[in-house]
Amino acid sequence: MRINRFAVGGAALAVGALALSACTPTPGGSGEEIVEGSSITVAWNQPFYSANGNTSFGNATANNNINYMTYGGFNFYDSTPELQQDESFGTYELLSDDPLQVQYTINEGVQWSDGVAVDSADMLLNWAALSGFYNTEDFDAAEFQDPETGEFTTEFPENTVFFDSGASPTEGLGLVQEVPEVNEDGRGVQLNYSSFYVDWELAFQAGLPAHVIGQQALGIEDPQEAKDAVVTAIQDGDTEALSAISAFWNNGFNFTEMPEDESILVSSGPYQITDFVLNDYITLSANENYVGDHQPQVEQVTVRFITDPLAAVQALQNGDVDVIAPQATADVRQQLDSLDGITVQYGDDATYEHVDLQFDQSRNPGVFSTLEARQSFLHTIPRQEIVDTLIVPLNPEATTRDSAVFLPGAEGYDDSVAASGVDAYAEVDIEQAIALREQAGLAEGTEVCLLFASTNPRRVQEFQLMQQSAALAGWNLTDCSSPEWGGLLGTPGAYDASLFGWQSTSLGVAAAGPNFSTDGINNMSFYSNPEMDEVITQLNGEADPAEQLRLQQEIDRILIEDAFGITIFQFPAVSAWSDRITGLDPSPLAPTIFWNIWDWEPTETNVTES
Amino acid sequence: MATFIIRRLIAAILILLAATFLVYNMVALSGDPLEDLRGSQAPNVQQLIEARIRLLHLDVPPPLRYFIWLSGIGGCFIGQCDFGFTIQQQPVVVLLEAAMGQTIQLVTISNVVAIILGIVIGITTALRQYSAYDYGITFVSFLFFSLPIFWVAVLLKEFGAIGLNDFLQDGGTVSPVFIVVFTVITGLIWASLIGGDLKRKAATFAISGVATAGVLVYMSSTGWFLDPRFRIGGADLSIVIVGAFMIAAAVGVTAILSGFKRKRPLIIGLAVALLGIVLYVPLQYTLLNPSAFVMSIPFLLLLAVVTVLVGVGIGWLFGGEQRSQAMKIGGWVAFLSGFVIIVDRIQQVWMPYSESGRIRGRPIATIGATTPNLDGSFWVLSLDTLTHLLLPSIALLLISFAGFTRYTRASLLEVLNQDYIRTARAKGLTERTVVVRHAFRNALIPIATIIAFDIAGLIGGAVITERVFGWNGMGTLFQTGLDRTDPNPVMAFFIVTGALALLFNLIADLAYAALDPRIRVS
Repeated sequence: MRINRFAVGGAALAVGALALSACTPTPGGSGEEIVEGSSITVAWNQPFYSANGNTSFGNATANNNINYMTYGGFNFYDSTPELQQDESFGTYELLSDDPLQVQYTINEGVQWSDGVAVDSADMLLNWAALSGFYNTEDFDAAEFQDPETGEFTTEFPENTVFFDSGASPTEGLGLVQEVPEVNEDGRGVQLNYSSFYVDWELAFQAGLPAHVIGQQALGIEDPQEAKDAVVTAIQDGDTEALSAISAFWNNGFNFTEMPEDESILVSSGPYQITDFVLNDYITLSANENYVGDHQPQVEQVTVRFITDPLAAVQALQNGDVDVIAPQATADVRQQLDSLDGITVQYGDDATYEHVDLQFDQSRNPGVFSTLEARQSFLHTIPRQEIVDTLIVPLNPEATTRDSAVFLPGAEGYDDSVAASGVDAYAEVDIEQAIALREQAGLAEGTEVCLLFASTNPRRVQEFQLMQQSAALAGWNLTDCSSPEWGGLLGTPGAYDASLFGWQSTSLGVAAAGPNFSTDGINNMSFYSNPEMDEVITQLNGEADPAEQLRLQQEIDRILIEDAFGITIFQFPAVSAWSDRITGLDPSPLAPTIFWNIWDWEPTETNVTES
Repeated sequence: MATFIIRRLIAAILILLAATFLVYNMVALSGDPLEDLRGSQAPNVQQLIEARIRLLHLDVPPPLRYFIWLSGIGGCFIGQCDFGFTIQQQPVVVLLEAAMGQTIQLVTISNVVAIILGIVIGITTALRQYSAYDYGITFVSFLFFSLPIFWVAVLLKEFGAIGLNDFLQDGGTVSPVFIVVFTVITGLIWASLIGGDLKRKAATFAISGVATAGVLVYMSSTGWFLDPRFRIGGADLSIVIVGAFMIAAAVGVTAILSGFKRKRPLIIGLAVALLGIVLYVPLQYTLLNPSAFVMSIPFLLLLAVVTVLVGVGIGWLFGGEQRSQAMKIGGWVAFLSGFVIIVDRIQQVWMPYSESGRIRGRPIATIGATTPNLDGSFWVLSLDTLTHLLLPSIALLLISFAGFTRYTRASLLEVLNQDYIRTARAKGLTERTVVVRHAFRNALIPIATIIAFDIAGLIGGAVITERVFGWNGMGTLFQTGLDRTDPNPVMAFFIVTGALALLFNLIADLAYAALDPRIRVS
């Protein structure tokens, strides 16, 4: 009976194996297979792509949020919003306001995450970059800009210096047209402005690591030598060295996944980048060499890139992420309201929705070249209806925003609204719109192509409301939307009108300038009015707050007079977080939820094992 | 044969050339590549435009520009692939590698599961034609077939991830109502599947119902869902369950492949299973122990091959007169036993994984392909991949599963009605031999072609699934490229999916010839 022998042998083996497994616990049962620490995951809708937020390429919220956490600064906005100084990083002092002289000093002991001191060399480099002082004159950088990306190539002609900081000789650090004096202890610089600059307090920070740029651009190994070389190059105006430095400043900090050379990740803030997976997430870990007051309490902050707001809510619900700040939509609110254990906060955002009209270079040539055409179109925009149907469900007290310059509720807003003449556009006026369109000599059915974010459901709804209303006045509003709308802004021939939001990054009074001055960096409408340019120049040199208000109201008035465009509403903001974290206090100004990252505190449910 | 393959390959290349030509032109003409120039930051727009025209050869009309792109791809033949760069100045090759990894992972798993499930269920429905089971499956598969995938995906997240995780967090205890409902449904399915007269059906219903309820009650009361181990008095005796599964595999495989008329195949199957049981404990301390051995996917595959070879070898050595059957049985049982050991190994890390600080008792993820920053052994990372793969795979497989079930059923029914099957039955062959040896093989022929077509289609279908679940696969590559009128990533997507489609077509034809003796490729 072979089968029996088989069975007996098998049974014996099985029993043996069983006994063996019972005696000794299976290896790898717990702990040892997992390595971990305390962490928080935040969902953000766009991937990070540049650690230098001062270039025209890298200046985006997605970058600035991260850079805020990795670079220390002299001041920041709290949630009030009010400007606060971080004196554990450094101090600044107004030496004189005529001429404007400011002394910046970095505290002793403040260092980059690689242990090198943060000092005047970094500030000097930041001045050189932001002032554009050494930029080669008449150099046409566009030739060397990658047209696909807007990034600058490193192949500038020899001895050409170009810092892509959008420096303008009439504002900000562009006004500091002499090499700053460096203190003897090497920790301070003095900036001498050639004329008064109203937002001087917001103009300057410590900037990027000079020693890393020196190492990378000039090929010097020792950090101190590299730093000294950068200082010497700036002080001597050595164009050869500055050429390499500027090229690296423009390009070296752009990356979309963990860079091979991690030296560009050095940080002076509470966190530093430790992991970055293409289009997936970026991880910031506490910076061990950070000495300031903003000591982080969460060991690791991971920002996951989730484009779809509802996917973000589901991810929060499921615990895949802990903090979300999706674009507020009715669906998002509805879904958030049904969640338990989630803190939801509604409020205003610093962004305001507005429609801009292309004065020139429009898709349908000349459609908005006349004042009447612009006024006619603006009369059709159903601002109140948009607010009532799309915003009130999210923010019950929402009203239209009636000023392009002032935040609602801010000082000067009410006066400006009363004086600017914006009330003419309070209600849709189809009759007048038709009359004005005919005056402009435009036939019924004239096409206006509207650029907006096709991935943004609210803008799609706004577009539909605007389309219906415009049709009543004989305008044919068509869809020029794109997921890449940001890149299309200001593109000649791409659209006739744009619907998007401007995000106020500060309370600075000079913020309006770039939007409305001729060739201003944010003037996408080819708008040019000498009167406006004069008011803006005046405002930027004005020290008296009352006079500043008057000039800002003047800007509002001229914009309505010229029918530049129309503001619609203040964004409702929503942020939500799980019970794993406390201490969040979302601010209307960027970097919104991140502004007090150091106050974020893991709760008991945030299990920390080691 | 060789000439056939070569001829087909040449044809495939020509088709691919024509198709890429068409797609390149369509993408290039789908928008204005100059559209994203930023006028505001470029003082000299005209020069910018000229620079771009130079860079992208926009002065060359798209039909001719295609050949510039083609020369870059042509470099692949001499080892210098040039897929070009994307808008973010990244080499497409790098993106393609990352994207292909993710999509292939997703598509492979969902396809394999869909094929196995689809064929098995298809066969059983055909054998139990017009039973309640058959009608039920028909209803369900038509339901799945007509579901929009984006909607399924959102529902899956709601119930499959959030609901399931809530269940696990609440202690993983199944409610009595659920146990009753589930038991009744399982009982009905088994009763209908086994068939027979009313008495037999009632018995099947009772037995399967009691078994199901028993297992569920056990799992619920011992917290099996939180820690899928079999423990008695603190000792991990999962080897009992593992062993039971291996022996069941041996019996099942034997029943299908040779029947129990002769004893030797069964003995060989059981012997292989016993070998698996014996090796279970030593393996835990050697190959499966992360501190003793660093496991990797290629090695695991190698291990699978070795395991199958050992099983086949045992069959060859001791098969005697039924050597060929014994070899098959040995191979299958070895494979299944190995599979059970691997599943058991992953189950071991389930609890530490789901209790870890990164997972916090909510193991099923709704987005992404991995948990950020999760660090751990091969088994933990494998489990992490599986928990991320679960939902998108289900979304994909629900739809292709429906197709496979219907095709298999129809194909098997058609074969079963043919004369040679009646002849086979008439000469007294057992039902098992008729179905497995005569009907099933022929029924597979049309399925092979359908599977091949489906794989190419699934990669296309993954575009939507990837978006909803936040995967950065081929679909994302395609979509972002198309959005930006950026032909390079789109073409990379297309050349891979297109080549795959053609390749699988060829494979389908070869499989057709291999399966159907009436067809010869030449």
